[in-house]
Amino acid sequence: MARYLRTLRAFWTSALAAELEYPANALIELLSVLGNLAGSLVLLALFYGRGHGLGGWSWNEALVVLGMYTLLDGVTSTLLQPNLGEIVNHVRTGSLDFVLLKPIDSQFWLSARTFSPWGLPGLLAGVVLIVVAAGRAGAAPAPITVLGTAGLLLCSALILYSLWFVLAATSIWFVKVWNATEVLRSTLVAGRFPVSAYPPLLRTLFTLVLPVAFLTTVPAEAILGRATLPWVLASLGMATLSLGLSRGLWRHALRYYTSASS
Amino acid sequence: MSIIHARGLGKSFRVADKQPGLGGTLRHFVARRHKDIPAVRDVSFSIEPGEVVGFLGANGAGKTTTLKMLTGLIEPSAGAVAVAGFMPFRRQAAFLRTITLVMGQKQQLIWDLPPLDSLRVNAAVYGIGEAEARRRIHELAEMLELGEELRRPVRKLSLGQRMKAELLAALLHRPAVLFLDEPTLGLDVNAQARVREFLADYNRRTGATVLLTSHYMGDITALCQRVLLIHRGRLFYDGSLQELTQRLAPYREVCCDLGEVYPPQAFAGFGEIESLAGHRVRLLVSRDQLTATISRLLSTFPVLDLEVNDPPVEEIIGRLFREGAVG
Amino acid sequence: MKRTLRLARVLLSVQYAYMLEYRAEIALWALSGLLPLIMLALWSGAGAAGELSLSPAALNRYFLAAFVVRQFTVVWVIHVFEEDALQGRLSPYLLQPLHPFWRYLAAHIAEQATRVPFVLAIVLVVWLLGAGTSGWPPPSSLLLGLLVTQLAFLLRFLLQSVITMACFWSERAAALDRLLLIPYLFLSGLVAPLEAFPPGLRRLAGATPFPSMVSFPARLLSGGEVDLLGGLATMAAWMGLLLPLYLLLWRAGLRRYAAMGA
Repeated sequence: MARYLRTLRAFWTSALAAELEYPANALIELLSVLGNLAGSLVLLALFYGRGHGLGGWSWNEALVVLGMYTLLDGVTSTLLQPNLGEIVNHVRTGSLDFVLLKPIDSQFWLSARTFSPWGLPGLLAGVVLIVVAAGRAGAAPAPITVLGTAGLLLCSALILYSLWFVLAATSIWFVKVWNATEVLRSTLVAGRFPVSAYPPLLRTLFTLVLPVAFLTTVPAEAILGRATLPWVLASLGMATLSLGLSRGLWRHALRYYTSASS
Repeated sequence: MSIIHARGLGKSFRVADKQPGLGGTLRHFVARRHKDIPAVRDVSFSIEPGEVVGFLGANGAGKTTTLKMLTGLIEPSAGAVAVAGFMPFRRQAAFLRTITLVMGQKQQLIWDLPPLDSLRVNAAVYGIGEAEARRRIHELAEMLELGEELRRPVRKLSLGQRMKAELLAALLHRPAVLFLDEPTLGLDVNAQARVREFLADYNRRTGATVLLTSHYMGDITALCQRVLLIHRGRLFYDGSLQELTQRLAPYREVCCDLGEVYPPQAFAGFGEIESLAGHRVRLLVSRDQLTATISRLLSTFPVLDLEVNDPPVEEIIGRLFREGAVG
Repeated sequence: MKRTLRLARVLLSVQYAYMLEYRAEIALWALSGLLPLIMLALWSGAGAAGELSLSPAALNRYFLAAFVVRQFTVVWVIHVFEEDALQGRLSPYLLQPLHPFWRYLAAHIAEQATRVPFVLAIVLVVWLLGAGTSGWPPPSSLLLGLLVTQLAFLLRFLLQSVITMACFWSERAAALDRLLLIPYLFLSGLVAPLEAFPPGLRRLAGATPFPSMVSFPARLLSGGEVDLLGGLATMAAWMGLLLPLYLLLWRAGLRRYAAMGA
């Protein structure tokens, strides 16, 4: 365990050093976070400006959901995209061989090898939006609620990670130049809005197949003090299930890789 | 007690079978056909600790596949293999700490950072303490003649410097078995020589076992007492390099300076022309015909000077693969 | 002329074969463009149709058309170009008597061809799910819409090609695409029909090339009322602006590339 922690430190300090080689990226990412946030706010305002709203959520409550989305998008830019986006390249260039020959868990290596500081503004913007919007929505969460929300957000992050990893791991079968994982990112934009704003069919889809509901709506309900036990349990279950799935699929993929690569 | 032991090792791959052109593309789209291609068949050998063994073979002969089976990157479809007492394919941590793999055309160093950063990562991964890691880096850097290059981003290094840094990264955990796949690929003559010297030195100092493949016979002749020759997936020869050249090349090279210039046809019946330039001709003459041929040459041509040599190893191996005349 | 035709045929068929190798991924990419359909669900849920002076059927048709337009205007030249420049593949391309622009254009067209079956399948599914009850636009506007979609693709391709020239100056120019994507996403009509915008925002969008890339072809395709000549003139104007800019930057970039000795 200590070795893994030390490895993680070495991973991230070197990653930070590598990223700082490209300072212009900081500006691009910052602009991208701000631009996306502004665009999402305007879009949301288009819905609320006409007095219809979305799925029975008030303007401020919907902003909490948007905050959750921005936060998760920050996690994506910080950890998921830089690491899991590389898996395809590891397979394509054969540098996966080096990873497999390291005396350390290969899924850990591939998932934690690097981190991008440029996702941090998104993380921060998400937290600020959640706090401000929840306050204006009249929520006065007790410490235990905040803690619970943090736990649910962790579940969201794990679900997102697992889905992404599963998709990235399939590159062992379909070696390819482009990133299938970006697909996930673009599909998850559905999480910008409360899941109840969608028609019933999509709502089911976003709960069971593409668990968008667990990613943003469930934690938002929690911080607004509307969490219900079944949803919390479902979120925990979904996180465990998808994590287990990613682990199992990776093992299977490796067996295939090592019996078929040339 | 041998450190590497392979018995009846075999591997076949499934590959897609597609015809070129649009028709082939569409057919392939609708119904994919596959072929099983045996890459390695029934290969057996043992290597003792401390040996430096060269792994020879043409492109696609099965060298890399065998190397990957020995390192545990692919699972053999037949046979058994043991490296340092481990089954490679299980890739247990203890096994991985014992071996290393260097691939000339792939790199593990982080592109945008100085090698030292990658080395820190490797030290952490292999659980080497920081002081110890510094000591080892210092020692290896000295052997490799690497200095401030370790502080420059990898993308700014020359190919030779990068390869040396790759070697350093691969050896930081003091592996007992080194697998090197084309470690001098693309390097200039000087850099090649330096890498060779380092590997010989490393083997002498640490007693590590080395198995290397290379297209450059210079690597093999400089480093290996023993060679394994693989041809079309089968082990064709296992023994000393010298014996191989004698067995494969029952020829000697006869080099004559002549008083006049002759067309190539003039040498028919004397031996195979290796080169003909102006007054100088090099012929390959079989050993048992040597004296008879020399006396015929002397009586037929105005010979000014005559020399008899063993042909260069590159030439022998090259002929072997060109002709495919193995078996 | 004969040579050009032969070149185009060979280039396209080889690129098509190449893209077919990546069909699994292209199917995923097709799925990733579902955003207009997600937005359709939200807008119909918000009961917005009435207020936008669009019938629910017209709203359905608009977003379905926007989906199709989006599918056939996907551009990724900046990513491939960056990769080619970094991996040194660009140099051999430059030595060939064919401007690399055409090579990339052929690759995009081949990719679109690979997409066709997947897009048709998705449209069919959405059709069966009910959006189709809103009727089918007349064949003439369908044909015209598809033609203008190709023009929209060319416009986007040109715009991204201009940004791509930054690759000559930076190793990570592809990040700029993320910035370009933001106004494209929010101003093109992909997430909301332009009628939903407040007048100020609508004027702002109108001053950019983005509505020409989705809104205009989608309205044509869905059989809505459009100012055909005005729209085409706008597209032509933007292309007339971007093409010389591209050529200028390409020449400057090549000078730099040669000077760097890459």
